[in-house]
Amino acid sequence: MDFRNKKLVYAAAAGLLLVVVFVLPASLSRKGKGAVRGVVAPAERGTAGLGKRLAEAASAIRGIGGAVEENRDLSLDLVRLQAELNSLREAEADNIRLRRAFNFHRQAPHSMIPCDVISRNISGWWNSVRIGKGTADGIADNRAVISPDGLVGKTTEVSKRSCEVLLVCDPACRLSAKIRGKNVFGLVRGVGTNLKGQPIARMDFIDKDTVIRVGDEVVTSGLSGAGGVFPKGVRIGYITATERDRSGLFQNAQLAPSATVSLLDYVFVVSDTVTEVKP
Amino acid sequence: MMDRILLFGGIALGALIQLFLPAWPVFGGIKPPVLAAFALYYALHRSPRGMWIAVFWAALLHDGLDLGGFGPALIGFPLIGVLAHRIRLEIFVDGFVTQMVFGALGAMLAMLVAVLLYTATGQRPFHFGYALLRIIGSGLLGMVALPLVSWSMKKLEAALPKRRGYGWQ
Repeated sequence: MDFRNKKLVYAAAAGLLLVVVFVLPASLSRKGKGAVRGVVAPAERGTAGLGKRLAEAASAIRGIGGAVEENRDLSLDLVRLQAELNSLREAEADNIRLRRAFNFHRQAPHSMIPCDVISRNISGWWNSVRIGKGTADGIADNRAVISPDGLVGKTTEVSKRSCEVLLVCDPACRLSAKIRGKNVFGLVRGVGTNLKGQPIARMDFIDKDTVIRVGDEVVTSGLSGAGGVFPKGVRIGYITATERDRSGLFQNAQLAPSATVSLLDYVFVVSDTVTEVKP
Repeated sequence: MMDRILLFGGIALGALIQLFLPAWPVFGGIKPPVLAAFALYYALHRSPRGMWIAVFWAALLHDGLDLGGFGPALIGFPLIGVLAHRIRLEIFVDGFVTQMVFGALGAMLAMLVAVLLYTATGQRPFHFGYALLRIIGSGLLGMVALPLVSWSMKKLEAALPKRRGYGWQ
């Protein structure tokens, strides 16, 4: 390829890239992403499953290792019993966890779709997780995603078999909220994570005359736009600091989201109804 | 043929590894740039055709699996790929120090493109300190990622059967 042709090819490639990046309609972009995610989703599910099994195995090995160190002279039978005990403990922990989730699922007044978390965000630019269900399972855009601990985030970029969950701590996640027991409304938006990796959110536009304290519980108000479904009264987090707005018209609060997403392996997507969750 | 399978498979595996690696809060919450390292590896070791295939496949996976529009990797990876490919004959591409330097520079450039694009399109809020932390962090992580990717790919390529002109041996 001579120099002139090379220049032409580079110019055409650059032009095409700029068109794809800046001019491509959102619907086409979403279709493209859906195709990529559809291809990768089975591998993600497999890897997530493998990761869970490895974690369980590591946990069992840690248990056996500890027992062996402490009781070097014990017989093989005892080691086998220890392994069985570890396995039963794992099963018991799983049982408690799943019972809790099942009870939560049964008691919640709205219909919910249980979903596995299959992966995290690839770049770290977004605070999001991907779940293994999509439009084929009845999940729509802008739906609340909750766990037994509280609100996890909301659905976005839903494809046929998977869906992104924008976490409460992401700056693009904004939702109407109120302080429990005070009838004070505000807007919660994510701030990201601090240097320790802990998620942070803030609540803006709180009435300046209301007394709010560190430790107050912030819950969803039930008001939502863009066809979203956000049940009333779901815990978002707790206030960790308060400050007066620069204009002096409002006060703002910093929140610690209550759903610890790093430990989650399953979540629930709210599919319909807008009734209040009992505290 | 086997080389192409390794290219597509290796980069897809790289995407899975990047997905499951933890984000590093001390580096601004970014993940190790495994896909950028793959793009750089193929830019440093392959013909223009191989480089373009690898770069676009890595960019497509990166942007396809990420939130927001296509763009940060689709612009960043070809850019670092072309720059690395242009000077690959003038450097010792298999040198450990060369790979560390290229890994750092490539990851920083890709991150700079992402910062500029996200800021220009308003998809992410811009904080100078945070952006700087991410660029420096991506450089440090890229410094580790490229030598590791290069070492792994060299081992995998060495394990492949070689074609000697009359079929697979």
